[in-house]
Amino acid sequence: MSALATTKASATRARRTLGWLLLAPAVVLLGAVVAYPVGRLLYASLHQLNLVDPAATRFVGLANYAELFADPNFWHATGVTLRLALVTIPGAMLLGLVLALAADSDSRWRWAVRLALLLPWALPPGFCGMMFAWFFNSDYGVVNDLLVRLGQTPRPFLVAPGPAFFAVSLASIWKASSFVALILLAGLQTIPAELVEVARLEGATRWQRFRHVTLPLLWPSILVALIFRSIAALQAFDIPYSMTQGGPGRSNETLAILTNTLVTEFLDIGYGSALATLLLGLSLVLSVPYLRGLYRSHD
Amino acid sequence: MNSPTPLSPRRHPRRLRRPLLGLLSLALAGQAFTADITLRVFAGGTAQRPDLLRHILDDYEAAHPGIRVEIQTGAATSELQRKYLSTVLNASDPSLDALQIDIVSPAQFAAAGWLEPLDSYFGAERDAYFASFSPVYQKVNRYRDQWVAIPFTTDALFLYYRTDLLAKYNLPVPTTWEELAQTAKAIVDGEHNAQLRGLSIQGAPIEGAVCTFLLPYWSQGREFLDANGRLTLDRSAALRSFALWRDLLARNILPANTAETKTGDTINDFAAGQLVFALNWGFAWTVFDQAPGTKVKGQVGVARIPRVAGGEHVTSLGGWQWSVSAFSRHKPETVALIRYLGSPEVELRLAREAGFLPSRPAAYTDPAYLAQLPWLAEAGPVILSGRSRPITPRYAEVSETLRNTTSAVLGGSLAPEEGVTQIEDRLRRVLR
Repeated sequence: MSALATTKASATRARRTLGWLLLAPAVVLLGAVVAYPVGRLLYASLHQLNLVDPAATRFVGLANYAELFADPNFWHATGVTLRLALVTIPGAMLLGLVLALAADSDSRWRWAVRLALLLPWALPPGFCGMMFAWFFNSDYGVVNDLLVRLGQTPRPFLVAPGPAFFAVSLASIWKASSFVALILLAGLQTIPAELVEVARLEGATRWQRFRHVTLPLLWPSILVALIFRSIAALQAFDIPYSMTQGGPGRSNETLAILTNTLVTEFLDIGYGSALATLLLGLSLVLSVPYLRGLYRSHD
Repeated sequence: MNSPTPLSPRRHPRRLRRPLLGLLSLALAGQAFTADITLRVFAGGTAQRPDLLRHILDDYEAAHPGIRVEIQTGAATSELQRKYLSTVLNASDPSLDALQIDIVSPAQFAAAGWLEPLDSYFGAERDAYFASFSPVYQKVNRYRDQWVAIPFTTDALFLYYRTDLLAKYNLPVPTTWEELAQTAKAIVDGEHNAQLRGLSIQGAPIEGAVCTFLLPYWSQGREFLDANGRLTLDRSAALRSFALWRDLLARNILPANTAETKTGDTINDFAAGQLVFALNWGFAWTVFDQAPGTKVKGQVGVARIPRVAGGEHVTSLGGWQWSVSAFSRHKPETVALIRYLGSPEVELRLAREAGFLPSRPAAYTDPAYLAQLPWLAEAGPVILSGRSRPITPRYAEVSETLRNTTSAVLGGSLAPEEGVTQIEDRLRRVLR
């Protein structure tokens, strides 16, 4: 008996060892590219660390965080980020859903929609921002050209806070909707056609089929898209930066743009790291309800 | 029985030792003479003419066997280059040896410990060498009593004007902003050309917008920082600076999209014949006069920047400096290279082939230069008395605040009073 027990224990140990060995590459990789940078970020956020004055570097505890909460620029950037998220998340989700349904339809133009879906997704965000900045340029932009053709006066969209926010939101929605659509399209393709067909045979209208069959089954995909979109929206940088650099002035400065300015321009690594840590925390906190919903829907 | 071959090393090791040692010595000596050192220089964007720099470096390589120099180009604007270099140097990356940096960057980069002090490499020649440059460059390239950069090119803001149009309407070159407004209006009204505009300045949130704010401010005899680097902003002078530009916008002398205008936009519009006046850097002269497609060749005048009523003429200096990365693995070789790049012969070549202005006062009376750039005789005193933007390790904050605020005021999203308050609030904390 004891020999059998020893053999069993040894086999368990061997399995555990093998498990750890198999996990090791992933653990090492995640440690190198996630744990170490995040650790450094937290460490820097607790220090006064400005490269312009390296001699003054010292541990300051939570002072950087306290200064942030008293900084009007931080609250302004938080407001802009949330406003942008509130506009672009529903916008991209809605447009993405419409595009996904079009790409999943039986139409003979389905291939064209699928092809068009890939274009915004494949474009680098900075390039997308520059492209939209050209669209809205006062002198050469296609938007003002259309306005002139309609008998309107051209408007300098990107130098007024409201129109600039509108232009940035539009570009962000356009760019993000294709990613949302690709996720939703994948979800739509997993829904058995028989279910929709049965509903149709039982007299359900197109809307009823969508509302009561497609949407509930698509819900896990919607949640996944929502998580990705929400995190990306909170970290909005490329498009607003390449279109307006957060301007005019600082009127459309997001938290990510402010972090970039603090770190790469002002070289205030400690203060910028505190802001980046808050941004990371905010993204994690907002992910929790979505993840809960996702697991619940799987159950 | 096989007899051993006479050259078998195994059998006759002693006979071969000498020739082998000789060969080894030769190989090592050869290695020492031909060991290639590759230096990598950051040369900025296309406006800094990396193409011309390549030719200059080719000559350097030919004169210095064993040294190879690679060019890395970067972002188009000064502030983007500064951001890029900050990222590279913050990582202590040794891949760049020499850095071409804007006139406003040496203090910040040196404070961060990214620049190699040059004093020890110059020895006894140091003082004489640096004294040959104009005083403003002596000031910007020193940090805590150490030389950290060598001037490469000088630049200054000028008023460009259309000689043909001023002659046609028999109008003199304006010396005040009000005269400029009236001259521009008279010409634009008279030309009946929907494309023609009065004046273009840089209003986009770029370095040019910093100068846009400072020019009328300085013209009122005010300083932005004191000798200790503390903010000395004169609120009413700053308000008048913004008011001047807002007035020119309201009178349509400046186009409505001024808050979007970058340096290149002004150059393109002037070269296309769509402007009466333009505020731009000295290098633009070559574009107006020589670039393919220019419509204003032979019709361009250069003048001092107008002053505010009762004020003085001022200009803002620009230009690029060479410095050595503190993380370079080839510092002596890099110092030798940048010394060559800052030499009078390279300076003359830059003037001849690219129209870049020299940093040594002696050049402005040198017939060799005047033959290439005849307008230097008149422009020289303006350039040599030009001002640098505020010299402070916290220049990034100064620049970010001034350019964004100026752009927002020009765009109308910020009232001049709000703009001045914003500048005070943001900079008082860091410049104290």
